[in-house]
Amino acid sequence: MNSAAITALIADDEAPMRDLLRARLSSVWPELQIVAEAANGVQAVELGQRHRPDIAFLDIRMPGLSGIEAARQLYTHSHIVFATAYDQYALDAFQQGALDYLLKPVTAERLATTCARLRTRLEAQRDAKLVASPDANRDTDRDTSVPPQDIGQQLARLTALLENKGQAKPQTGYLRWIQAQVGASLRMVSTREVLFFQSDEKYTRVQTATSEFLIRKTLKELLDELDPDEFWRIHRSTLVRVDAIADVSRDVRGRQMLRLKNYAGEALEVSRNHSYLFQQM
Amino acid sequence: MQASQINHVLDFMRDAISEVSKWWWRFFDWVAVVEWRRLFLTWFVVLMCFGILNTPEPAVWYIFISFAVKVLAGGKRKAELVARDATLQANVATLERRLMEAKMAALQAQVEPHFLFNTLALIGQLIETNPPEAARVHAHLIDYLRSTLPQMRARDGGTLGKQVELSRAYLAIMQARMKERLGIRFEVPLFLHSAPFPPMMLQTLIENSIKHGLEPKIEGGTVSVRAQVVGATLQVEVCDDGVGIDPHADDGVGLANIRERLQLLYGTQAELLIATPPGGGACATIRLPYKMMMEDA
Repeated sequence: MNSAAITALIADDEAPMRDLLRARLSSVWPELQIVAEAANGVQAVELGQRHRPDIAFLDIRMPGLSGIEAARQLYTHSHIVFATAYDQYALDAFQQGALDYLLKPVTAERLATTCARLRTRLEAQRDAKLVASPDANRDTDRDTSVPPQDIGQQLARLTALLENKGQAKPQTGYLRWIQAQVGASLRMVSTREVLFFQSDEKYTRVQTATSEFLIRKTLKELLDELDPDEFWRIHRSTLVRVDAIADVSRDVRGRQMLRLKNYAGEALEVSRNHSYLFQQM
Repeated sequence: MQASQINHVLDFMRDAISEVSKWWWRFFDWVAVVEWRRLFLTWFVVLMCFGILNTPEPAVWYIFISFAVKVLAGGKRKAELVARDATLQANVATLERRLMEAKMAALQAQVEPHFLFNTLALIGQLIETNPPEAARVHAHLIDYLRSTLPQMRARDGGTLGKQVELSRAYLAIMQARMKERLGIRFEVPLFLHSAPFPPMMLQTLIENSIKHGLEPKIEGGTVSVRAQVVGATLQVEVCDDGVGIDPHADDGVGLANIRERLQLLYGTQAELLIATPPGGGACATIRLPYKMMMEDA
């Protein structure tokens, strides 16, 4: 089985972590050849496809591509071992699935266990190749070998999981920032700051508690992109932030007028078509 | 034509009536709370004026009406005004409570476990490969924790100089991890180090720059912190040349907390501005009244 040395790739965006893993591996598994080191996900995929290492050690959080995304492109020809310092959701997923993972900082004992497992698996694989039977790369021990399609499924599930929870930021898809040109730079106004939008011939006026901006986006476009629970349309030309409404009263002409909290400017008219929004319960 | 003219007249009448009623109630309020002595004085002045004009009737009417209002409605009106004052005070109390809550939230959302674990992992590995560097990072981590853990926080954390010091500790740790991928630039004049500045705002902005701007960028970039006084405004700016801001990404707990605290502390006199410069990246600027704070301090 020593016809060719076993090769490995290390990918971590933090150089000290790569150094540590390399040092640990050389003491735990001296024969292992580190053929490539990558500092980001894109590089990991590129080097992984060029060198086709037997094992790929991938950090989960990397710029460019995450370790899990990189793994989805590499698992068909490399055994994947994930490394992470703290990723609650990923850890839960690993413990349920059969993917290999290491906790950073990597301890010698833990790495030795993982390496031993990898070694048996690789040997089994080589024996199977020698027998040249397509069915034989399925090991008898279920813990040490998982069919590639299963790994693919697990990785897909993991990707979805991390996108939903790991980032701790639910991506609702609604517009969260209004980009307004101010001088040479683009001002990013959080929608949480906006009190109301009002269409004004060619432009849309964006009013916050302290300032106002003009943007080119039409009210119709904004209406489609903003969270409908956050902003209500009260008039053909006005979208108002629900949280900012102080009170609604009728003026002498019987129009419903809306006053806003923390805003001393004009009251906003509620058109008849939208007056159903403001009725006593 | 006819109908629209009538409408116009009606509108004008409505406006006129509302204006008159506004003035009447204003007069009513004034009479209700004014001292008797002053009321007598106005009676005297009005009598004199109309007496000179030889038409005392309006003056008599004025005296009669204001006397009646004072006697009949004075007490009730006064009570109403006192109640309004109380409501205002209650509002102030609510504001104070919200400020407390915002402060608590700022205290609690401090050390991100991910950051802590990674830093400890880094120290663990440096102990074997580069002990002096390990000691350095370890010292920075202690500085950082001292300022961020609520139980450890010193009471004098509220100056810009202190905040800059803490941010430097955080950035030094991040630099040990990201190496050449992270550049740092501080442009904070010495005289501004003593300027009062709310805690944990600068750090939040810097963490955002690294987490959302530079860490996702393969080649990394530079965080620059600049402070200057423009007129009566202290302007503290955190800029990066990272991947910029996705218009659909949530603005996060950190920025919302800064905005809330600024509003509670300074009202509309302070603001948090986020911009994307033409060259890419993102710039966050906190603007606070400068003079006013110096007087308060």
